[in-house]
Amino acid sequence: MTMRSATHTLLLLLALFVSARTVAQEIAFTASVDRTTFAVGENIKLVLTLTNARGALTEPDLGGLVVVQGPFESSAFNFINGRSTSTISRTYLLTATRPGDYTIGAAKAQVGGGLITTEPIRVHVEKGAAAAGGGQAQSQQQQKDRDLFAVISLTRNKCRVGEQLVATYTLYCRYNAIELVGYELPKLTGFWAEEIDMGELQWEPGLQTINGLQYRVAIIKKQLLFPQRPGKLHIDPATFTCIVNRSFFSRGAELKIRSNAVDLEVQDLPVNKPADLCGAVGDLRMEVTTGPTTVKANEALDIKVRFSGRANLKLIDDPKPAFPSDFETYEPKVSDKITVNTGGMSGSREFQYLVIPRHAGEYSLPPITVSYFDPEKGAYQQLSSGELVFTVLPGEGGATATISRPDPTDVQQLDRDIRYIRTGDLGLRPMGSRLFGSWPYVAGMTAPFALLLLFLFWRRRHDAEHADVAAMRRKGADKVARQRLKAAAEALARGERDGFYTALAQALNGYLADRYALAPGEVTARVARERLVPHGDAAGKYAALMEACELARFAPVEDRPRQQVYDEAVELIARIENNARA
Amino acid sequence: MRTYAIILALGIGAHASAGDAQALADSAAAAYARGEHRAALALYDSLNADRTSAALLFNIGNCHFKLNDVPHAILYYERALLLSPGADDIQANLDLARSRVVDRMNELPAFSLGGGVDRFLAGADNDQWARRSLWAMAVLCALAAAWRMARHGSVRHTLLGACVLAFLVLATSVALAYRRNAELDTRVQAIVMSPRVEVRSEPRRQATTLFILHEGSKVSVLQQEGDWTEVRLTNGGVGWMPPASLVRI
Repeated sequence: MTMRSATHTLLLLLALFVSARTVAQEIAFTASVDRTTFAVGENIKLVLTLTNARGALTEPDLGGLVVVQGPFESSAFNFINGRSTSTISRTYLLTATRPGDYTIGAAKAQVGGGLITTEPIRVHVEKGAAAAGGGQAQSQQQQKDRDLFAVISLTRNKCRVGEQLVATYTLYCRYNAIELVGYELPKLTGFWAEEIDMGELQWEPGLQTINGLQYRVAIIKKQLLFPQRPGKLHIDPATFTCIVNRSFFSRGAELKIRSNAVDLEVQDLPVNKPADLCGAVGDLRMEVTTGPTTVKANEALDIKVRFSGRANLKLIDDPKPAFPSDFETYEPKVSDKITVNTGGMSGSREFQYLVIPRHAGEYSLPPITVSYFDPEKGAYQQLSSGELVFTVLPGEGGATATISRPDPTDVQQLDRDIRYIRTGDLGLRPMGSRLFGSWPYVAGMTAPFALLLLFLFWRRRHDAEHADVAAMRRKGADKVARQRLKAAAEALARGERDGFYTALAQALNGYLADRYALAPGEVTARVARERLVPHGDAAGKYAALMEACELARFAPVEDRPRQQVYDEAVELIARIENNARA
Repeated sequence: MRTYAIILALGIGAHASAGDAQALADSAAAAYARGEHRAALALYDSLNADRTSAALLFNIGNCHFKLNDVPHAILYYERALLLSPGADDIQANLDLARSRVVDRMNELPAFSLGGGVDRFLAGADNDQWARRSLWAMAVLCALAAAWRMARHGSVRHTLLGACVLAFLVLATSVALAYRRNAELDTRVQAIVMSPRVEVRSEPRRQATTLFILHEGSKVSVLQQEGDWTEVRLTNGGVGWMPPASLVRI
C-alpha cells in the first residue's frame, strides 16, 4: 500500500478541522464467524458488525448453538484516508454440544425506519476434539506479530516435475495505516518462475477473519512456478518491510516481517518417457494446418504446427517434421500468444514452416508426434497429426525452370547403419569341429598314399614277371604242345606202336584244325604246308611228320625211334604256338 | 510372440537337431526383421550354444549392435571375422561398431595383403585348406600312379610336371591348414568389456596407471600373472589389467 504523505497529511488536517462533517457513508450490517467447521467443545466467535449506523440489534436464532460468553459490545470510530467509519460490533462466543450441521439465522438491525438483515451462516460441528484448520495454525505459528504477518501459499503442495502451480505472497494487516516500503522474495532454486502481472498493488475489498481477528488482505505478488527437478523443494520465507502507524503526528514504526517457508513435494515423471517428449506438463493440443497441398516444384509449401493449452508452452521446441531430404527447409518461424495469469500459463505457440520442394512427385510426411505429460491422467499423452500428403507438380517449363533446376548432386549419405543379418542357411557346424588333424583327415591323407604304394608294389612284381616276354610265351606254347600230345606220350610210355601213331596223328590234326578253325576232314598234309607257310621250315616238317604218321599207321615202317618223333612233334607245335602268340 | 520365442529358445535350443536349428535360425531372422532384437538375440544365442558359423556370429553381432551393446557387437564381429576372414559385410559392420568406441587408437600397421588375399590365405571356412590338402593328396597319388604306368616319353614328362605341381599345391595347402588351425587355437586377442578400465604398469593395484581403456577396445593378451593380464594395445602400448574386464575373441 503506497500512500503519498502529502495527500495523507492534507486529508488528515481536513478531517480534524471539519470533524462533524461525515464523508459519504456506507451502511453495512454483517455477521461473521471465525470458522465454519469446529469440533464439539470448541468455541467459535460470532461477530455482528453494524457499520456507519446506529440502531437496535436483534440477536439471531443460534439454531442450537450455545452462547458461552457474551455478548460483548464495542464501538469504534475510524478515520482513514479521509473516510470516517463508525462500527458497532457485538461478539458472542458460541459452542456446540453435539456434532452436526447448524445454521445461525439472520440477525436484524433496526436502522432509521428500515430493517437490515445479515445472511444466515452454516457451520459444521465435528465429533471429538479434532483440531480444525491446521494450515492456519501453522501460519499462526509463523507469525510473530498478530497484527501484521505475511503468508506464502501454493496452490498445491504436491506436484509433478514441470507442472505449473501458483505461489501467492499475501500480507495480512490489522494496522490502520501501513506502508509497504520494500520486499524481498525468496530465491527460487529448482524452479522456473514466471511473474504474474498483478497491476497496481491494492488491498482486497473485504476483510478476512482469521482466528476471530479481522485483517485487511493484500496480495503482494503472484508467481507461476514450474518445478524443474524431483524431490523436496523448499521455498525460503519472503521478507517484507512495512512502516505502520505513520501519521501526521508520528513517524510510525518500521516493521520487518518474514513469511512462512513452504515445502513442495515434487514427483518425477514416470520412467517410460517417450522419445518425442516435449517439456510441457499439463494440457496440450496440437493442430497442424497446411496451405495448398498441391504445388508446383520450386513453390513454397506452408505448414503450421500450433500448440495450445495450459502448460509451459515456452518449453515446447520445434517438433522437427521429417521433411523429405530433397526439400529445401528453413528454420521455422515461432509465434507465441502466451498469457501468464493467476490461472497459469496458457495460450498457444505456433511453428510455421516454409519448405520448398525441388522435385515433382507424391510426398508423404510421416505424422508429426509430440508427447506431453498429463498430470490429471497421470500418464504421457501423444499428440499426432495425420499423415500429410503433398503433390508436387512439375515446375514451370521453359528457360526459368531450367535455370532454377539445381545442379546434379551426389547421392547423399543420410545416415549409417550396420548391414542386415544373413538369412537362410547359416552354414552351422558343431562347435569346435575341425577337419585338420582329425582322424578322417589323417585317414584321407594316408589312404591315397597307401594305395599308391600298393599299386607300385604290384606293378613292380608284374614287371618282373613280364621282363622276358619270349620265355613266357615259349613256356605257354610248350605247355600247349604237351597238353595236345598227352595221349601220344601215354602210348609211347606203354610201348604201343599203333596207339602212339594214332594219337600223334590226331594231335597234329586237331591242333591244326583248332588253330586255323578248320573242319576235321579238311586237315591234310597239303593244307598244313599251305597254312604254316609263315612259320618257315616248320611247315615242311609238320607236313612230313603228318605223312610219316599216316604211313606208320598202315605199314610197319619206322625210320626213327618213336621218342624222336614225339620230341619233334612237341618242338613243332610249341614253335607254331609261340610264333602265333608273338 | 516374443516370450514364446524365448521359451522356444531356452527349451529346445540347446539340443536342437539340424532341422530344428534351421527353424530356430528362421524364427530368429523373422524376429530381427520385426525389430525384436532381444528375442532374435536369445534365439541366436541358443543356436550358438553348440553350433557356430561366421554367419551366425555376424547375426549375433548385429543383434548386440541394435541393442546398443557395442562391445559385444565388436566381439562377435571379430569372432565372425576369424571364421571368415576378409568377409566384406562383417568388416563393414565391425568398422561401424568401432566408430562408436570411445578409444580411438592409431593401429600399428598389421601385415595384411588386403581382404581378397587374406580371404584366400585363410580359406572360406576353417576346413577349406584341409579339404584342399586332401584333394591335392589324392590328385598327387593318382598322377604318380599314372606316371608309373605311362610308356611314352612325352606323356611321362607332362605327368612328372603335374606331379611336381600337385606336390607344391599339397605342401601349400597343408601349411595353410596348419596355420589356420594354429590361428584358431591361440585366441590372443580380446575385447574390453568394462565401461572403463585402468591399464597399469605393473601387476599391482598401486602401480602407475598408464592408460584408461573403454569398452569395445581391442587388445592382445601377452601373459597371465595371478589376477592380472598383460595386454598389448593396438597402438603398441603394453600394460597390465584385470582379466575380468576382457573377453577373448
